[in-house]
Amino acid sequence: MTELNNLWLTETIRLREEHAGPLEDLEANRLARSAGGDLPARIQRRALWLAERDGLSEALKHWLQGARLALIVLAVLAVVSGTGLAFAAMGDGLHPVNVFWALGSLLGINLILLLSWALGLVFAGEHGASLGRLWLWLSEKLARDAKAAQLAPALLLLLQRQKLNRWAIGVVANGLWLLAMLSALVILLTLMATRRYGFVWETTILSADTFIAMTQALGALPALLGFSVPTEQMIRASGDAALNIESARQAWAAWLVGVLLVYGVVPRLLLAVFCLWRWKTGKSALRLDLNLPGYAQLRERLMPTSERLGVSDAAPAQLHRVESGVSEQQSDGALLVAIELDDDRPWPPQLPKSVSNAGILDSRESRHKLLEQLSRFPPARLAIACDPRRSPDRGSLALIAELARSASATRIWLLQAPPGKALDAERLGDWHVALQQLELPFADCAPMNWLETGHD
Amino acid sequence: MTDTRKQPLKLAVVGHTNVGKTSLLRTLTRDVGFGEVSHRPSTTRHVEGARLSVDGEPLLDLYDTPGLEDAIALLDYLERLERPGERLDGPARLARFLEGSEARQRFEQEAKVLRQLLASDAGLYVIDAREPVLAKYRDELEVLASCGKPLLPVLNFVSSTNHREPAWREALARLGLHALVRFDSVAPPEDGERRLYESLALLLEHARPQLERLIADQQAQRLARQQSAARLIAELLIDCAACRRSVVSEAEQEQQAINELRKAVRQREQRCVEALLKLYAFRPQDAAASDLPLLDGRWGDDLFNPETLKQLGVRVGGGIAAGAAAGAGVDLLVGGITLGAAALAGAIAGGALQTVRSYGSRLLGKIKGQRELTVDDNVLRLLALRQRQLLQALDARGHAAMDSIQVATPQDKTWREGTLPEALNKARAHPQWSSLNAHPKLNQAERQEQIEELAQQL
Repeated sequence: MTELNNLWLTETIRLREEHAGPLEDLEANRLARSAGGDLPARIQRRALWLAERDGLSEALKHWLQGARLALIVLAVLAVVSGTGLAFAAMGDGLHPVNVFWALGSLLGINLILLLSWALGLVFAGEHGASLGRLWLWLSEKLARDAKAAQLAPALLLLLQRQKLNRWAIGVVANGLWLLAMLSALVILLTLMATRRYGFVWETTILSADTFIAMTQALGALPALLGFSVPTEQMIRASGDAALNIESARQAWAAWLVGVLLVYGVVPRLLLAVFCLWRWKTGKSALRLDLNLPGYAQLRERLMPTSERLGVSDAAPAQLHRVESGVSEQQSDGALLVAIELDDDRPWPPQLPKSVSNAGILDSRESRHKLLEQLSRFPPARLAIACDPRRSPDRGSLALIAELARSASATRIWLLQAPPGKALDAERLGDWHVALQQLELPFADCAPMNWLETGHD
Repeated sequence: MTDTRKQPLKLAVVGHTNVGKTSLLRTLTRDVGFGEVSHRPSTTRHVEGARLSVDGEPLLDLYDTPGLEDAIALLDYLERLERPGERLDGPARLARFLEGSEARQRFEQEAKVLRQLLASDAGLYVIDAREPVLAKYRDELEVLASCGKPLLPVLNFVSSTNHREPAWREALARLGLHALVRFDSVAPPEDGERRLYESLALLLEHARPQLERLIADQQAQRLARQQSAARLIAELLIDCAACRRSVVSEAEQEQQAINELRKAVRQREQRCVEALLKLYAFRPQDAAASDLPLLDGRWGDDLFNPETLKQLGVRVGGGIAAGAAAGAGVDLLVGGITLGAAALAGAIAGGALQTVRSYGSRLLGKIKGQRELTVDDNVLRLLALRQRQLLQALDARGHAAMDSIQVATPQDKTWREGTLPEALNKARAHPQWSSLNAHPKLNQAERQEQIEELAQQL
């Protein structure tokens, strides 16, 4: 399989998946991933595997065989028509050869088609694709297999992207014409070598000078290569009847061969070589267009940019639970304490005389201080103010539980949002759940009455 | 797979509970299904890894860890681990803690985080920038710092209005953490990932080549995604512009055909939305297109579309075409036929046989009293606009976002103005380019060319 065939099959698979839905590709993806390489290489490997499985590679081989066969047939046709051209130009040898008719039949069609090909090349957008379209249409009609139906469009699209199809067609067209011209040349030489031809030109309305000028103009280029041009006298004399002089015959024959070579063979040769060069350089620049959605989607499957590594340290069956309790010690008084409040919240609120304020707990030191104080003088009633905008993490809950354990009764005051802001309902719900687990009563208003008197 | 290959860089994503560690991982890995994200504290209770690779080579391993929740108590405990008369450095103290029993009980979650950070090259310390700088966060950082690994603070939720970035910057600077990255995991800035990896490269000089490769690859992929997306939208527009329905001129049947056309276009748009979501690795339910406004359909005037006539080798001035569009009927119709016949030879030479055939059948339909419905220009404009908006939204969306994008009709009427791109006018004349029509030929080179051209313009 050449590089081009690989790209071709890859493109075919892409079209198939685009039109008929994704193929079953688990194994192909796995193989492509394990083989490594960059993304285009992996996409190609996957496509080749799928093509092999679905018989597309076989279909491609048949295609190529067919194409080769067609090319051979065309080549034979070219040789035969070249021969025909030469025979038609030279006639049966009984009559003298009309040089300009001979020239016309040798070069006429060639030059007209060359011109139309060149025009097609220039205005490629409009007409250049017509041969390709013909081929596409033919292949659609000839494809007996639904699988192979995408082969021709795939090749066209692939080549189209680099504007390569015109060069490929150029190689074939110019190559075939070159073959035809060469065979015409060979037959021409053979005929001239084995038969005696006289050369004339004829006219009704043109003057002899026109023919002399034309003959010399046409012969100028071949003359540079060493082909002789008939002299003026010879040309003038050939206007009446075929000259029966050896030198005149040879001069005309050399002129004819030279013109055929320079205007028939050489242009086609140069163009064929040029097209071949463009085709070769273009072919080596052929790449998969990774921006096509079909290929972009394969990236995650063939070369994932991110993959999960799995759990490396499993979750425990159950998180460490904090237990709350009540102090059994002799307790007295009421206390209000806040946990982790913002700076912008005014604190403490107006307190009755019998309720003392323990401030805001935030740092480790303030926690230690308060807990130590509470264990010495446990309060009878403790209210803990929390901002439900904070997350109810285990640390905060443990602190609340520890504080509750050192008081006879504890209530939680979930503060309202500051003016102009709102509480997150989900987070508030999390607080409720957590406090219910701790079995602590909570409310969203200040339990001042309870703190002061012991009942609501 | 050679042995000389470098080990991927290991990063532990650490932080307080509920600050969006798993969200950050989802966004960095572009994996909407990674881990579990919820409003509850301690949602993630295990350590889970994800790997970022470039060209199949693993470059970065990210580990999601449980949230730290009890750092104050842990720091207390760690300080009490030091026996009288000895002086332990951070890692030694942690080693002793991890061997002890509390590392399996009260501080089990914290122990997981610390073990992972010790095994990593660096840590990303995720911060909810809306939170005040509390003492517990400082203690957290102190515990984490004792691992002896570089820490890069990542400010999450910075696009929220009430974030406290300055306070956090100051507090982190006091703790000696001067490099920090703003990265909102729900709406990451366009260069967010690049900045994050660049800051990491400053902390981990030896990993700079890997990180730079990662940055370059992500940039290239962002571009590739945008181009793929433009192609998908271009295909949608070409499909809709070339779509046509033939209908008998009867009020009831016309209405039915209009509804069917509208449904087909809407379904096609939804297909495009789904393809875009897939391309950007979001879930199908992450965006939905709202209904299209009622489209009137364009009545048969397409027969005289300048582009259709141009295909036959006839060029008509816009005025004539407009007159035809207004329905100035039969004369032009006959004119069209004669002009068409005159140009027939040229058209055949140009390989446009197919066009002639389709034009002929459409003329026949016209004569038989059928009308042709196509999609209105305004609807095409609207489709283009909506898809472009969706694309922008997807480009700026983090993979941690939970809400669904609504692809809505813009309220102002500016989308009704402006000229259509040339490619769409061309598509009007090629019914076989639309996958919504019968017998489409989607692989025609001209169609691909026009899609390419349109995608460039989008």
